[in-house]
Amino acid sequence: MTPARAFVSLVDDDISVRESLQAFLSELGFAVRPFASAEAFLHSDCVGETECLVLDIAMPAMSGIDLQRELQCRGYAIPIIFITAQQDEAVRARVIAHGAVGCLSKPLSEAAMLEALDAVFGKT
Amino acid sequence: MTGDTRVATKCGHSEAALKRSEALLAEAQRLSCTGSFCWRVATDRITWSEQLYRIFEIDKRTPVTLELIASRVHPDDLASLHEATNRARTDGRDIELEHRLLMPDRSVKHLHVVAHAARDGDGRLEYIGAVQDITQRRLAEEALCNARLELAHVARVMSLGALTASIAHEVSQPLSGIITNASTCLRMLAADPPNVDGARETARRTLRDGSRSFEVITRLRALFTKKEPKNELVDLNEAIREVLALSCSDLQRNGVALRQELADDLPRVSGDRVQLQQVLLNLILNACDAMSAVHVRARQLVITTQRDGHDRLCVGVRDSGVGLGRDGPDRLFEPFYTTKAEGMGFGLFLSRSIIEDHHGRLWAAANDGPGATFSFSIPCGRCDVTETVRGPLTARLTEMAL
Repeated sequence: MTPARAFVSLVDDDISVRESLQAFLSELGFAVRPFASAEAFLHSDCVGETECLVLDIAMPAMSGIDLQRELQCRGYAIPIIFITAQQDEAVRARVIAHGAVGCLSKPLSEAAMLEALDAVFGKT
Repeated sequence: MTGDTRVATKCGHSEAALKRSEALLAEAQRLSCTGSFCWRVATDRITWSEQLYRIFEIDKRTPVTLELIASRVHPDDLASLHEATNRARTDGRDIELEHRLLMPDRSVKHLHVVAHAARDGDGRLEYIGAVQDITQRRLAEEALCNARLELAHVARVMSLGALTASIAHEVSQPLSGIITNASTCLRMLAADPPNVDGARETARRTLRDGSRSFEVITRLRALFTKKEPKNELVDLNEAIREVLALSCSDLQRNGVALRQELADDLPRVSGDRVQLQQVLLNLILNACDAMSAVHVRARQLVITTQRDGHDRLCVGVRDSGVGLGRDGPDRLFEPFYTTKAEGMGFGLFLSRSIIEDHHGRLWAAANDGPGATFSFSIPCGRCDVTETVRGPLTARLTEMAL
């Protein structure tokens, strides 16, 4: 198992994705905080303690890419796993170039998600 | 020859030349639908050329007055014309305006008026002007504009690439939820002891997300529901030209050279013009896509129409693109079969079903050289339908649109 109660924040504006991932990550043993928007996460008190951020790309107002940039500007180096329903190679390449751990396509496969989490927390 | 006869002959020549020049001018006015006038502002004396009488459809012996003109001017344009004449009286500037006439038979003519301000020998203001009947041009412009609007609707319905992206996005979200829920559910049940409450909650979310996906499919089905095709006589060449007018900027942008080989004197086909245009647009856009990856040879699109036997017409769309691929021509028409990264695989399936509704067939074949040709053949219209029906297309298209 991954280290006990590692703290993962989850940002996705889609309720199906958000709730299912919250349950999945909890079941894996993570402490999970879900957020429906990038702004909600940014204004929460979770930014500092977040050890991994699972982040949707296309969201109204602030996008996942905007949030990645904003966090870097503020000096946070949180590992980010992007999730997206848009098959855009250019966007994928861009977020990876900016340091994202991975960029997974929706519908998400369990294997891909586990692999990305392993990249962040190390295989156990 | 005496001096007198010389003068007389010269006069004769001048007179003949003048007559010829007048005849030429009258003919030019008739051909160009342009009449001329002179308006002496102080006395309101107006003289018209013969052609101007003809444009106004007024007997040429009738004296021209401003009242007479006003009686023909379209009521909606009277005020602005009145204002323009009043302004001309005072400022003595050149006039250029357009207005309409409402003829006794309720038909409408569009006129373009230009007049130059001048002063006569006594310094009095007069206008010398020309009036051109531009009705045909206006009607053509209106028809073109309407055709563009109609086709823009078609294009919106047919822009499957954009539609696909949004559907893929909408379906992916609940589907992602379903898959993740199922993984979680299995994990919860496999735990020791099994987390039954958690699994139950997860299954409940799965149901909700399933319904969400279903809603997307329902919307999709509503969009592609087959409508009973309208039965009208369609000039295929004209329908093709309209579609090409819409897609020419796409063709240019993609560096595609277009050749039209449209046979003359084709009978019309009976069917639904808009649906047939959807098929044409789809085939043309497919051809463009097939050529987008081609850099080593010319991108050429050839559209042909010809008779197919004595009672059918055949339309061909030939490209110099990447060809039909390994799966050959048959699989192309299956729904959801696509070779394009952003395609959904509906275009050809829909196109074939439209053509089959028209009792025709649609097929694809590899060219001898590079590329492929998509063709369809449909029966000519029955002779008992004599009048081309042009229904309120916009209404129909709005029905079809999202």
